[in-house]
Amino acid sequence: MVNEFDEILNECLERLLVKGETIDQCLQRYPEQANELRPLLKTALAVKKTSAVQPRAEFKARARHQFRSALQEAASRKSRPIFGWFPRWATVVAVVIGILLLGSGMVAAASYSMPDSPLYSLKIATENVQLALTPSDLDKAELDAKFADRRVTEIVYLANEGYDGRIDVIAQRLDEGLTMLASLASGEEAAEAPKAVMAPAPTMAPTPAPPLTPTQTPSPEQDSVLGMDSGARSELSKEGRLKITVEQNATDNLAALQAALEDAPESAKPALQRAIAIAEERYQRAIEALE
Amino acid sequence: MQDEERLVRRAQQEPEAFAQIYEEYFDKIYRYIVIRIGSEAEAEDLTQQVFLNALKSISSFKWRGVPFSAWLYRIAHNQVVDYLRKKAKHATESLNGMAKAVVSDDNPQMEFERKVDIEQVLLATKRLTEAQREVISLRFASELSVAEVAKAMGKSEGAIKALQHSAIVALRKALLISESENG
Repeated sequence: MVNEFDEILNECLERLLVKGETIDQCLQRYPEQANELRPLLKTALAVKKTSAVQPRAEFKARARHQFRSALQEAASRKSRPIFGWFPRWATVVAVVIGILLLGSGMVAAASYSMPDSPLYSLKIATENVQLALTPSDLDKAELDAKFADRRVTEIVYLANEGYDGRIDVIAQRLDEGLTMLASLASGEEAAEAPKAVMAPAPTMAPTPAPPLTPTQTPSPEQDSVLGMDSGARSELSKEGRLKITVEQNATDNLAALQAALEDAPESAKPALQRAIAIAEERYQRAIEALE
Repeated sequence: MQDEERLVRRAQQEPEAFAQIYEEYFDKIYRYIVIRIGSEAEAEDLTQQVFLNALKSISSFKWRGVPFSAWLYRIAHNQVVDYLRKKAKHATESLNGMAKAVVSDDNPQMEFERKVDIEQVLLATKRLTEAQREVISLRFASELSVAEVAKAMGKSEGAIKALQHSAIVALRKALLISESENG
């Protein structure tokens, strides 16, 4: 429920700041609220001056040059062969097994399937294969972050389709995945190993490689901002990237769940609210673990 | 929106296309950070870092009803939160040291909005809550609509309008305090 005065104030701000009306013109529309509105609109005009703040030209030129270098490096890395980025034997072996047993088409199709699809159990199985065959905890954590993303997409899909009974099941998987991510990120012994492989059907899509490295490695000046010494930089950079990814996934996914909640039928809202609570709590814990 | 979606999709495939996004948003993100942290000098490095982080992560951006600008401002928000957290560990900052108030004594009849300059506004924003400061940054410095701010902050439009109201009231009070403190 929007407060009436909040609405009126916003309407006046739009007229004042966007359409260029004067304060008096705005107040003529709302004579009863004029006394309350006038000082607020004057304050708004003063605050509007902040839109004139501009970065220094010298800084802007230096920043642009640095960013262009980062873009060029990103472009050159993107053009390298995919297995040049990911020489992990586990992924390669898993891909070969998948091709032999199921064919790439089915595995690829499964990775996009939703919980109401017959291919969905294959999707979950391939995720478990990937986790089981990934040796490093940090890489496992990356996968958990990626799979959590998928769970949120599935929850939003279920809410849109009206399958509210299944939302809790997927939310439980989201809970498990993010809990595992937090455990791996904090270096704790995982309470439970990744689930046993249900079917030898690895996904055809390898985890996307980080698009940037060398020129995006922070400069010494940036290191001081980031609180890193140069020796620790290379080791920390992967964790740093994961932290950024998890933070952004958390933001995107919570926003997507909130948006789904607004549009969802009443019957789906309680389950969606539970899913949102899980996502908020577990993402927070995962981010703290990555600090 | 369709143009933006096309541009972002292209940038996900070809990093060079990100340059256009950089040019379009650089000043806005800079202003957003200035208001959030109250310092133009320190906003420079943070702004650059926002775009480097965005470039690293753009492949993970998905179109799911949240505009790209909201995603970018969330990166900026996270960057600001990290910065403030680190800064809080090092020193307790002095409100008065954040920005120098400049008040003209020459003309006491000057209208209120003409007397307050950008430094005063920056100083006044220090008295706001984090959420109020974020709304002011997005609405006034970055010139986003209420709908865009709602997406960026993950709140309803009604909540943003209420925050906007309370933020302006708080700023009004802070600016009046600043006026009286400076004679």
